[in-house]
Amino acid sequence: MAYSERVIDHYNNPRNVGQLDKGSTEVGTGLVGAPECGDVMRLQIRVNPATQVIEEAKFKTFGCGSAIASSSLATEWIKGRTVDDALGIKNTDIVKELSLPPVKIHCSVLAEDAIRAAIGDWKKKNSAPVAAVAAEAVAVAG
Amino acid sequence: MFKVIDSAVPIACWSCSIGHNDSTLFCPHCSKIQPPPGGDYFSVFGLEPRLNLDLTALEHEFHRLSRKLHPDRFARAEENEKQWSLADTALLNDAYRTLKDPLRRTEYLLKLLGAEIGAGQESKEEKVARVPADLLEEVFELNMQLEEMRAASKTGVEDPELQAGLEQAKRRFDGLLVEVDQDLRTQWQAWDEGDAAARASAQRRMVALLDRRRYLSNLVRDVTETLGA
Repeated sequence: MAYSERVIDHYNNPRNVGQLDKGSTEVGTGLVGAPECGDVMRLQIRVNPATQVIEEAKFKTFGCGSAIASSSLATEWIKGRTVDDALGIKNTDIVKELSLPPVKIHCSVLAEDAIRAAIGDWKKKNSAPVAAVAAEAVAVAG
Repeated sequence: MFKVIDSAVPIACWSCSIGHNDSTLFCPHCSKIQPPPGGDYFSVFGLEPRLNLDLTALEHEFHRLSRKLHPDRFARAEENEKQWSLADTALLNDAYRTLKDPLRRTEYLLKLLGAEIGAGQESKEEKVARVPADLLEEVFELNMQLEEMRAASKTGVEDPELQAGLEQAKRRFDGLLVEVDQDLRTQWQAWDEGDAAARASAQRRMVALLDRRRYLSNLVRDVTETLGA
């Protein structure tokens, strides 16, 4: 089966490969895997706390060309979007853009899962500190 | 519950017209060869679906049926029978290859069951949840080490520490594979001997174990390749 030109382009010139500081509260990390093929994908976002805009996105994927292309495309698409906006990206959009064949659809599902996981992680990090800050404020006031 | 029940629908023998279950290669009444039956691979050997199989008996039955189906025996038979001897032999070979291998047998049985409980119906969340986060973390880390080592071997710089780390990881993953296989065997027994509820639970457990196994065996393969290179 031949890969589409777009897949090959993303595979040869993957956008945004790398990693962000996992410990930063502005960074959300999503690590997902596809048991069907044993692929693993890590997608990270850095969100501007004031605007909720994803300013940076990085990925690292161990898997087939379609999995790499799907995650590369995902990072391109979420950059510059707000967190809520990025959640609107569907795996079917990725399938369309990359002309993925039916046997590779799970790669796009993995990329969508990775976006959700990264945003979920960021949200979790940024709801707890708010409570902690509030508690601290109360403690100071008291 | 099983596909085998579909094949229990009696069909008439083309030769003697007496009805028989659509799972046998030869008519039980007139012994004439039958077209490839529509039942599952277990029924080709006259077995109920189960995971613990007597492999010696299976092999014996495979040889017996192979001999009976051999195209040489049908040199003077009708054209239909000649064709069926080829098609039945192909089916028998597929069935034997699938059932004699424990992993393929397990995957096959799960697929048979999945076809009935609605494969692909699970939500994405469930799918992700099937792979434990700590395993993913480890798989990811090891892949990073592998990549580093491949890059290092390309530049000709040996890194003994990296090498030792990989060897240690390989031993660990080999050990985990053994654990998974032991657990699988326990689930086989639970499935073979259990009631519907026990079977359903063993089935879920086996799906998770096979996923885990796939990750682990891919890793062991990659590590072995990298260490060997």
